[in-house]
Amino acid sequence: MKAKDTLLYLDGVSVSFDGFRAINNLSLVLQAGEMRAVIGPNGAGKTTMMDIITGKTRPDTGDVYFKGEIDLTRHDEAEIALLGIGRKFQKPTVFESHTVEDNLMLALAGPRSAFSALFHRQSADEAERIDDILHTIRLHTKRDWLAANLSHGQKQWLEIGMLLAQDPKLLLVDEPVAGMTDAETAETAKLLREIAKTRSVLVVEHDMHFVRELDVKVTCLHEGSVLAEGSLDYVSNDQRVIEVYLGR
Amino acid sequence: MQLIRLLAVFLVLSGVFAPGMEAGAETVDDATLRPLIQALAAENFDETTKAVSGLAKTGDARVSAILNALTAGDLYIVKADKAVFIGKRDGSDYAATDPLTGAKLAPVPRNAAEKIKVNNRLRRDIAAAIGGLTLMSDNPAERRSAAETILKTRDPESIALLDQAIAAEKDSGIKAVMQQAKAAAVLNSTAPDDAKIAAIAEVTAGNSRDALGLLTPLQGSDGPVGDAAHSAIDSINGKLALWNGIQNIVYGLSLGSVLLLAAIGLAITFGVMGVINMAHGEMVMIGAYTTFVVQQIIRASAPGLFDYSLLIALPAAFIVSGAVGVVIERGIIRFLYGRPLETLLATWGISLVLQQAIRSWFGASNVQVGNPSWMAGSFDLGLLTLTWSRLWIIVFALSVFAVLQLVLKKTMLGLRMRAVTQNRRMASAMGIRTPWVDALTFGLGSGIAGIAGVALSQIDNVSPNLGQGYIIDSFVVVVFGGVGNLWGTLVGAMSLGIANKFLEPFAGAVLGKILVLVLIILFIQKRPRGLFALKGRAIEA
Amino acid sequence: MITQWFFTHVDRRGAIVIALLVALACLVPLSNLLLPPTSALHVPTYLVSLIGKYLTYALLAVALDLVWGFCGILSLGHGAFFALGGYAMGMYLMRQIGPRGVYADPVLPDFMVFLNWKELPWFWHGFNHFWFAALMVVLVPGILAFGFGWLAFRSRVTGVYLSIITQALTYALLLAFFRNDMGFGGNNGLTDFKDILGFNIQADSTRSMLFAATALFLALAVFVTSFIVRSKLGKVLVGVRDAESRMRFLGYRVDRYKLFVWTVSAMMAGIAGALYVPQVGIINPSEFEPANSIEAVIWVAVGGRGTIIGPILGAVLVNFGKTYFTAAFPEIWLFALGALFILVTLFLPKGILGLYGTWETKRKDRIARKRSEPGSPATERATPIAEPQAAE
Ligand SMILES: Nc1ncnc2c1ncn2[C@@H]1O[C@H](COP(=O)(O)OP(=O)(O)OP(=O)(O)O)[C@@H](O)[C@H]1O
Ligand SMILES: [Mg+2]
Repeated sequence: MKAKDTLLYLDGVSVSFDGFRAINNLSLVLQAGEMRAVIGPNGAGKTTMMDIITGKTRPDTGDVYFKGEIDLTRHDEAEIALLGIGRKFQKPTVFESHTVEDNLMLALAGPRSAFSALFHRQSADEAERIDDILHTIRLHTKRDWLAANLSHGQKQWLEIGMLLAQDPKLLLVDEPVAGMTDAETAETAKLLREIAKTRSVLVVEHDMHFVRELDVKVTCLHEGSVLAEGSLDYVSNDQRVIEVYLGR
Repeated sequence: MQLIRLLAVFLVLSGVFAPGMEAGAETVDDATLRPLIQALAAENFDETTKAVSGLAKTGDARVSAILNALTAGDLYIVKADKAVFIGKRDGSDYAATDPLTGAKLAPVPRNAAEKIKVNNRLRRDIAAAIGGLTLMSDNPAERRSAAETILKTRDPESIALLDQAIAAEKDSGIKAVMQQAKAAAVLNSTAPDDAKIAAIAEVTAGNSRDALGLLTPLQGSDGPVGDAAHSAIDSINGKLALWNGIQNIVYGLSLGSVLLLAAIGLAITFGVMGVINMAHGEMVMIGAYTTFVVQQIIRASAPGLFDYSLLIALPAAFIVSGAVGVVIERGIIRFLYGRPLETLLATWGISLVLQQAIRSWFGASNVQVGNPSWMAGSFDLGLLTLTWSRLWIIVFALSVFAVLQLVLKKTMLGLRMRAVTQNRRMASAMGIRTPWVDALTFGLGSGIAGIAGVALSQIDNVSPNLGQGYIIDSFVVVVFGGVGNLWGTLVGAMSLGIANKFLEPFAGAVLGKILVLVLIILFIQKRPRGLFALKGRAIEA
Repeated sequence: MITQWFFTHVDRRGAIVIALLVALACLVPLSNLLLPPTSALHVPTYLVSLIGKYLTYALLAVALDLVWGFCGILSLGHGAFFALGGYAMGMYLMRQIGPRGVYADPVLPDFMVFLNWKELPWFWHGFNHFWFAALMVVLVPGILAFGFGWLAFRSRVTGVYLSIITQALTYALLLAFFRNDMGFGGNNGLTDFKDILGFNIQADSTRSMLFAATALFLALAVFVTSFIVRSKLGKVLVGVRDAESRMRFLGYRVDRYKLFVWTVSAMMAGIAGALYVPQVGIINPSEFEPANSIEAVIWVAVGGRGTIIGPILGAVLVNFGKTYFTAAFPEIWLFALGALFILVTLFLPKGILGLYGTWETKRKDRIARKRSEPGSPATERATPIAEPQAAE
């Protein structure tokens, strides 16, 4: 397969920590506008894969291309974020001493230089976008709250809101519904499907109900490489997937 | 004529020296000596010089006293009969003694006597002559110092004497010095080239620094001697450079051991527990003061045990500093886990309190901690002189390191310590009493700092500020080596010590230290987590 | 217009402090110079200089708080920037002595004559001009901080590692300035100043003016700091403090932001040092002592980091205590200071102002929540001000 015409292209990627191969000859392709669910047992390398895409970890070998031509291994986190790749961490990470609104304001796409930040004045346009997102993530009533006071699920949502504010082409979402109630999970799935209409999304999740609700192509990772790929039904009937992950 | 003189000399010499080989200096009968003594009073210095060497050649034991009196200006003649006597001023007279027998003579009025004059050249000759004389002494120390004197004066006249002495010498150490002295004298003489070249070889084999001094003047001369000197100097310089390097390494290791001692406790409290322990230096200081107290008690009650004072102080210091550490941990630090920068502030406060406490108790000035006899003195290793204290510090630091490694790796306490520091919640879930382990770990780190204090009390001033002098170095060592890694601390301390010693010669001690600090600041940029960084997610955050 | 601009960048508390400082800058000199010594409102000159000194410490504390309180960079070497600013000013004051030195050399300061130097080292040139010295007061600490920060932040040296190398930095400078051949007067430092800008440095009026200048610079620093921390840049800094990698994944070049405040902060510290030297009449290498830098950290901690007023309060209170104790019970001072550090970290982790701040944000937060969820009880879930976790 060629890197051209793809949004995200990983080929033959390997990385090891102190001799332990966390990612082993991993290849994965994401088309523009596609949403993909990634599953796999603990330690399969899902988070590490995201680390590689976002420039946090450098692969030992292999190609990582964005939009078919940008070599992501040559850029650092900030550059990759500006290229249009947003990321939600496995552990919700928001700015706890800032209000919900300020969290979104900081994430909002726009100039990132220190100088422009020093003299930044919020425009009406920006205020409007923040309002929109606050409604999307259903936190508009809590815009003045300190993020530290949000519940776990609300923090997850706020983080997704921050991703939206960043206006990325590709969203990497690591376990978005961990610690959510069933109702919240359903809401989140709805939200992600909504988002996926305009952007590409890569979701990592253990919750099979959630993955089913997403109703997209699934990739199962195991020991750092792809074990199976296809529709959820196809993957969940794969003998090896059942063995290492789903259980009998 | 020639023959007779030779024979006479031979007779005299054999008479003088043959028994002297065993029994040392010989006594020559007065009749031979008297005219020579009389000749000392000659009108010109050349004559006197001849008389001096004549006297020296007799090898008589009494000669050196006479010659000493001559250099000291205590040898006089009576103006009237030119009789030589040793005079001491006594009012308007000289109290006179016979130079040979030492018998008391009638006092000579001062205006009736005249001092035998000496000039500097004569003084040198006399010194050389005395040197030659004592070559035969039966006191080995005298023989050695005589040979060393010749090594300095390089008097060609003494070659013959040296040959005799070398043949008779039994002590190989002294013999070597004599051989060196002879070679030096040969180089200074008009001996033939091959003798000189042999001498160059001899000198080159000896003390390199002395040899350089002897050979450098010859380097300029033409012919085989100059060439030989040249290549000898080259080889000596090579050897010196090598030994210089070795010295830097050894001194660097000993400085590194001091750093290691100072830092190793910190490697536990800071490196393993994550407490930025600014009071670490004070734990060292308390250890040093414990040594002082132990020595005071020993001095007062059992002076005979003084040589063991350090051995007694070691456990004492470990217990005292360790106990203080446990109290600090239980009282303050346990409330601050997970807030490393705040432990910095609190422990800084503790350090001020401890310093002031010691100051109020023992006074602000240095206290005297003595060195046991086995720490004093030095020994030679090749071309380098090592003090015992330097060696002991190296040995001691490495032993402390080894013991600590054993404790951490092989004991239950060590296992629990590592478990708690790696995952506190998990460890306590598994039934490990984490508070207890915390207290013991901190106590262990502090106790080791106390032990380091015992060692540092031997090489540094023991004052309330002792710890302050080590705290920055200790942190630099731990951070440089990589936090949480004892081996890193070891390698860090040793490499910093050696780097310091290699920079010192051309940068000076202070500038060398500054350079090392700057290098470390730059190094941290390259490896932000030190030499031996722990890897893993927990660390990266 | 201007007042409106002013109030958008400074909160009420900051405005009050600025007003207070400006008032001090006017009233204290007036009282010292115009009121007779017998008057109850007369401020004696020694007190003017003493408070002036406290205010320079306060300025240093504000500078330190800008990096530590708002960006999580705990510097244990800010005393170095303070001392460098002080030396720059000291060099100007030295050159002003001219031929009035003990050796009466028209150009060379006494210590150079004493060391048998024949001419002025190159780095002493220009310091006879005030403007040049003033420039150096900010440039030298600024450039050093920039170079140091550029290296450190780019390679992501953080937390404890950064703190320790800042300490190594000031320690190295301490050793360097102790050396005679550095050309800064060795361990005696620079002293015996005579004039500043042509005014006798001992005169009451000069001392009052130095005080006024200090108060005004502190007011300016409060304004600048407010401006920075209330801007979007300030919010980025707090974001860096609380979750540095999140900031990176949002596309911010964290190293540049850090470098910016770090350099600004070093320049502020330099100005503090420059104001300090003429008021105490001496600058020597002991100002580089790592202990001084740590003490400055304590002022900030006591007053409350992450606030602007806290460090000022902390610096003035601790130093007032120091002056009092060292005079009244010299042997107790270190006990008191040590106990203060311990107690503050144990019981007042956010400092004196933090205590008040916690209470106030809680109140605001509660109001906000009441408004958003009418009827629901305002439950406390976590501390409103997140713990800065800079060191991990
Ligand atoms: N920086 C690192 N240093 C050392 N080991 C690492 C590092 N990052 C990841 N690993 C290891 O790589 C393996 C893969 O980890 P990863 O977090 O990618 O798994 P995961 O698939 O996200 O698991 P989970 O479902 O539990 O989130 C794990 O064994 C982990 O310990
Ligand atoms: Mg994961």
